[in-house]
Amino acid sequence: MNRYELGIVDTRNIIKTLQDVYNYDFKNYALTFFKRRVEKIIISKNLKDADGFINKIIAEKDFFEIFLQSICVETTEMFRDPSLWRVLKEEIFPNKIQDSINFKIWFPEVASGEELYSTAIILKKLNLLKNVKFIASSLSDLVIENTQKGIFDAKKIEVNDANYKRIFSEGDLSEFFTQEGEKAFWDTSLIENTKFIKQNIIFDDYPKGVKLVLFRNQMIYFNQILQERYTKINYNGLVPGGYLIVGNNEIIDYWNSDKDFTLINKEESIYKKKLS
Amino acid sequence: MYKAVVIGGSAGSFQVITKILNSLPINFPLPVLLSLHRLKHVRSGFVEALSIKSSIPIVEPYDKENIKPGKGYLAPANYHMYIELNKRIALSTEEPVNHSRPSIDLTFETAAQAYRDKLIGIILSGANRDGANGLKKLKQAGGLAIVQDPNECQVKTMTEASLNLTSVDHIFTTEQIIKFLLNLK
Repeated sequence: MNRYELGIVDTRNIIKTLQDVYNYDFKNYALTFFKRRVEKIIISKNLKDADGFINKIIAEKDFFEIFLQSICVETTEMFRDPSLWRVLKEEIFPNKIQDSINFKIWFPEVASGEELYSTAIILKKLNLLKNVKFIASSLSDLVIENTQKGIFDAKKIEVNDANYKRIFSEGDLSEFFTQEGEKAFWDTSLIENTKFIKQNIIFDDYPKGVKLVLFRNQMIYFNQILQERYTKINYNGLVPGGYLIVGNNEIIDYWNSDKDFTLINKEESIYKKKLS
Repeated sequence: MYKAVVIGGSAGSFQVITKILNSLPINFPLPVLLSLHRLKHVRSGFVEALSIKSSIPIVEPYDKENIKPGKGYLAPANYHMYIELNKRIALSTEEPVNHSRPSIDLTFETAAQAYRDKLIGIILSGANRDGANGLKKLKQAGGLAIVQDPNECQVKTMTEASLNLTSVDHIFTTEQIIKFLLNLK
């Protein structure tokens, strides 16, 4: 199978088009990733080459929406890295949420919704769901729509269940979803307390007073400039002492970042916003 | 003249990999990029096992970590490992390729884009076709393609798939691979 390969000049032209036509600035996305995503669309939609892509995206707003959706990478599974979810279930959630009301948890890119539903299921099991408020942002309206419907690929049921069993000694996920052929649907009452926000790449409006940000394996698709910008937005959204959790091979490391955050759990990449 | 070595294999090639890594001197002049199939939910243990007798440090890199000579970079569990044009690691959780994440193809392909003809690619024993396309891209970009001698491999699928797709520069036994690497300057 031979893939179409996008040149650097073509990639820059595409980035410029997206900026000029839709005011989305992708230049600080990680180049390898961005190229690969565009190549995939060019092949799957039979667009032949970069010009085909550019012409279609200028002509069709709907196609731009599909592109935005494809830039938001799905989480690989529910409860990815079960050891992190055990820390949340056994330490952070009971200790911090038990006596709170409106404990705000923010998902800056909700992607496939799996981080949101994973969080909601654990809180439901702990009987703490009523104490939290979720905020879920995404670049893509289609992503938000699918998350609101709770839709996911039934092929993932097995891996999701295996992870669940690494966190809970009893039961399985079946009480939380229904299957219809190749598709499955989460019980959307889990996320009825969620505010969805459509975002551009630059967060002009972001939530404040957040106690926990779950932002794992999304900033890996950015270069370091955008990583720093997003991390500072997370910092500004968080209350002092609030948590920021990133993917387990991500590191927060910009100039003076140790004045902003303390790494409190290296294994699970849990950072805490400093008090002042 | 070479700037990096990229190695692909599966968990079954663990012994060959450790043999190669253990024979490299501490001042080995190139970075070693390792994309090896592994269990996705077992995060720890692998890099530690590879490090035990290796003179060069082996790490599971952080996203956007700078690639340095004399150091081994192992693709972390359940991530693809890309090489950016600016010689940094980029991790990805995109869909598996050839049922694999990490995918050897993707590491080889992106390394070939970053290092062009300054790259050495080595495919070791493994149980699926992953790596064959990546090695082809590497060769097309001017890199040097090496495949482990299939006669030496318990599972030949990966090496034979690579040999079918690319006319490689060398078919080497483990000992020959080591000798070749030790002669690099």
